[in-house]
Amino acid sequence: MSILQLQGLHKQFGNTPIIRDVSLKIAAGEKHAIIGPNGAGKSTLFHLITGRHTVSSGSILFKGQPIHNRPPYEIARLGLARSFQVTNIFPLLSVFENIRCALLWSQGYKYSFWHLLGKAKALNTRTEELLVEIGLQERRNLPAGELAYAEQRALELGIAIASGAEMILLDEPVAGMSHSEAKNAVELINRVTAGKTLVMVEHDMNIVFDMADKITVLVYGEIIASDVPSKIRGNAKVQEAYLGEVVEEHSHA
Amino acid sequence: MIEVLIFATLNGLVTGLLLFMLASGLTLIFSMMGVLNFAHASFYMLGAYFAYSISLYLGFWPALIVAPVLVGLLGALIERYGLRRVHKSGHVAELIFTFGLAFLIEEAVQFFWGRATKDYRSPDLLDFPLFTLFGQNFPAYKAFMIFISIAIFIGLYFVLTRTRIGIIIQAAITHPHTVANLGHNVPLIFMAVFGVGTGLAGLAGVIAGPVLTTFPGMAMVLGSIVFVIVVIGGLGSLAGALVASLLIGLLQSYAIASDVGMPDLLAWLGISFERDHPLNDIWRLTLPQVAPILPYLLLVLVLIFRPSGLFGKRES
Amino acid sequence: MLKYVSWALFAVALIVLPQIFTSILSVSILNQMCIAIVFALSYNMLLGQGGMLSFGHAVYFGLGGFMAVHALLAIENEQMMFSVTLIPLVGGLFGLCAALFIGSFSTHKAGTVFAMISLGVGELIAASSLILVSFFGGEAGVSGDRTYGPPFLGFDFAQNIEVYYLAAAWLFLATVCMYLFTQTPAGRMANAVRDNPERAEFIGYSARRVRFISFIFSGFFAGIAGGLFALNYEILTEQNLNAVTSGNVLLMAYIGGLGFFIGPIVGAIVLTLINSVLSNYTDLWLLYLGLMFVLTVMFLPRGLTGFLMMHRTPWHLGKLHLLAKPYAVTAVPGSIFVFSMVCIVEMSHSNEPTFNVFGFALDPSSFLSWGALIIIACLAFIALRRTLPSLRDAWDTANAIDTKPGVRP
Ligand SMILES: Nc1ncnc2c1ncn2[C@@H]1O[C@H](COP(=O)(O)OP(=O)(O)OP(=O)(O)O)[C@@H](O)[C@H]1O
Ligand SMILES: [Mg+2]
Repeated sequence: MSILQLQGLHKQFGNTPIIRDVSLKIAAGEKHAIIGPNGAGKSTLFHLITGRHTVSSGSILFKGQPIHNRPPYEIARLGLARSFQVTNIFPLLSVFENIRCALLWSQGYKYSFWHLLGKAKALNTRTEELLVEIGLQERRNLPAGELAYAEQRALELGIAIASGAEMILLDEPVAGMSHSEAKNAVELINRVTAGKTLVMVEHDMNIVFDMADKITVLVYGEIIASDVPSKIRGNAKVQEAYLGEVVEEHSHA
Repeated sequence: MIEVLIFATLNGLVTGLLLFMLASGLTLIFSMMGVLNFAHASFYMLGAYFAYSISLYLGFWPALIVAPVLVGLLGALIERYGLRRVHKSGHVAELIFTFGLAFLIEEAVQFFWGRATKDYRSPDLLDFPLFTLFGQNFPAYKAFMIFISIAIFIGLYFVLTRTRIGIIIQAAITHPHTVANLGHNVPLIFMAVFGVGTGLAGLAGVIAGPVLTTFPGMAMVLGSIVFVIVVIGGLGSLAGALVASLLIGLLQSYAIASDVGMPDLLAWLGISFERDHPLNDIWRLTLPQVAPILPYLLLVLVLIFRPSGLFGKRES
Repeated sequence: MLKYVSWALFAVALIVLPQIFTSILSVSILNQMCIAIVFALSYNMLLGQGGMLSFGHAVYFGLGGFMAVHALLAIENEQMMFSVTLIPLVGGLFGLCAALFIGSFSTHKAGTVFAMISLGVGELIAASSLILVSFFGGEAGVSGDRTYGPPFLGFDFAQNIEVYYLAAAWLFLATVCMYLFTQTPAGRMANAVRDNPERAEFIGYSARRVRFISFIFSGFFAGIAGGLFALNYEILTEQNLNAVTSGNVLLMAYIGGLGFFIGPIVGAIVLTLINSVLSNYTDLWLLYLGLMFVLTVMFLPRGLTGFLMMHRTPWHLGKLHLLAKPYAVTAVPGSIFVFSMVCIVEMSHSNEPTFNVFGFALDPSSFLSWGALIIIACLAFIALRRTLPSLRDAWDTANAIDTKPGVRP
């Protein structure tokens, strides 16, 4: 059963088409990576799925329900969480509050003004656990805006995974991290997404081929291939359009 | 009837163009710097007061030139030493700063010039009726106001479309973040734009002072209306500001000149109410009475139904 | 624990203050403070906690107040019968209704759009209040009498001190409620939406709904403040809902410090004092206030409370004493400068033949007094600037964490 289904998705900004006829099925429990050169439209695709942008045409089904053109908060409530490529946190709130806020809806507090956060035992324990998991318990009382870059990335990830959503979209979660930080982050992602559906945009091919059950290659807003890693590696079109170039870049670096 | 219409139109035009002189500066500043300058009308007031003081010694004509320049310089200084400092704390802080500035300028004006209305008059040279229609005079000074306003727009239009600096400014309006990357001295441009914008407001004050009276409350009276205009027109749109200025100017002018109201409407509909009906006040409203609130009503309606304003592209 | 102690101290202060400052004037200042604190706290729910800059908050204060006066009139005319102790609640409920209506369309966006709508609505209602005479009473306003209701525990509220204790009780209650609101999911999400409305939507919250909730609570408490105002002054006029009142509450909250719950309380107290004390000494007090506000925005963006809170780090590090001397050194030329500037300003404004300062009689018409003041001011300013670098150094030292094991660098 596919949990997410994109059908004939189009998106244009003004007259510029950015996403062109994208159709894709993602099975429940799958670890799916989306790769493609800069500007291919990967982030835009995420924005369409999570309601940040409206679609120009086509449809998106999540668990059989159409979710395109619905506001982000409704989509999030269905169990679809995401992180952002550009760090997107609550800068004045403490690290602890950032995570706690991300937990609130899924723990059923909604817009409550009759519960006191201090008295919400389960909520606070879960927040603490998550802080330990993302390795920020030492920084818990610091305003999130004052964290170092890698720590902010960890928090970004923490906010995305906090709600325990069934499906998690991560947009370049380890970009800009050092090698060891990235390794930790990947372990963390593996741990918290066990049994869940993960869609990830990532430029680091080692991580992609390590983690993904399936890889989709997006070039100029079109899917040129979508298959298991071993087939992608051998795919001539992908080699030509994308991989060769990246492998070259890597060998230079 | 027809003479009422003609004079209402002319008066509306005078007000509308005057408002645009303020609104254009405000729009320019907003487009460039993202700051909605709450104190904009205070610079207009300063223009009137400066011109009044200068005209006591040198007469009206030198004041017409010198006062706006002084106001512009003051504006540039305030940008340089005040606003720029606050800039890093974000737009809300900037808005609060200009709000405080408006407060401060009003108090400072009272300190230097006192609370009483100043006897700031139009020059003798223009103190004659330009034409008389149906026994009513149209003062030459008002024609002069129209003339100055239009001259300013033409100048502004020329500068914005034909000069290098104008093209940079235009680029900054549409792509606020990229101009810095092109290596232009953005802080200097900001200071200049703020200076010119406030200078324009000062000029508006110089020519409006004699007609709308020069008193410490004059900024308050016009200030929020100018705000209304730039928002209705669409923040950052010069064309929108022009349309909204004329719209508001004419709307108010017609409303004041008209003598209809709810009683006429009710009579026309054949409805009548007892005098002690709880909504009596509403049933007895007349259009001239509600003229002052029309701009705000329009603002709220526009913001509800078209939050980006009539000509707005950017929703900010 | 500390929390309960602070609340207890707050309650004790409220009870004891009028016993210390017993004059009629001080009780009336205390009453003003109670009203101002509730109002400023309600404003901070919008700006400080929710990121909504309002230029029209007096609308809810004024509407609540007008409704409260009408309730007083209804009691007086025996159309209704309830204790006047509940009048603030009437104001609050009406403020809430107004906020429900206005918030339904104005909380769509924060930032500039929200600020503009609040300005427009504020002007609209203030201008309408002069037209709709039967509710707002035109220029003269509406007045009532608080003594007609059934006595409450034997009090008929004829005296200001009785009103004070009633207001203080409401103040305490409202403050507790507003504090508790900050501790609820809705209150916390208000902070989150203030920081980053977009991200809030991706964790399941509609930014608009979150703002709306803060907005109506803010309207409610502003209405309570209006009700207290109605009880205290027994009259409301257009001034109570116009832009001046709206601006005033912005000043109070900002000068006090937006980022802290007690900020607006500090601001309300300071501004009420300035308002009532300074205005006795000089009719230029609004000029000073405006200057103070602009300087606060420029140099103390976190307000007076923020300034005090800056000293937490040196305090925790046990280095606060290092700052005492540099502060004193800066304060001397600083206060001389401010003082001489004030003298210059006041002297240029005064119509008296002599101007007395500390027993010196200065003559405003003589160049000597002007010259002396200006020279003093200039010297003090130069000295002030000289002291700043060492103050800055001292500040850095006092905030520097000595590298000890276990302390993060
Ligand atoms: N709001 C927008 N308006 C106009 N164009 C946009 C907008 N957002 C993205 N684009 C354009 O769409 C294209 C795809 O952008 P997108 O961010 O989706 O790329 P990406 O695949 O995520 O690239 P990267 O690997 O650099 O993150 C880019 O050319 C970008 O300029
Ligand atoms: Mg991207």
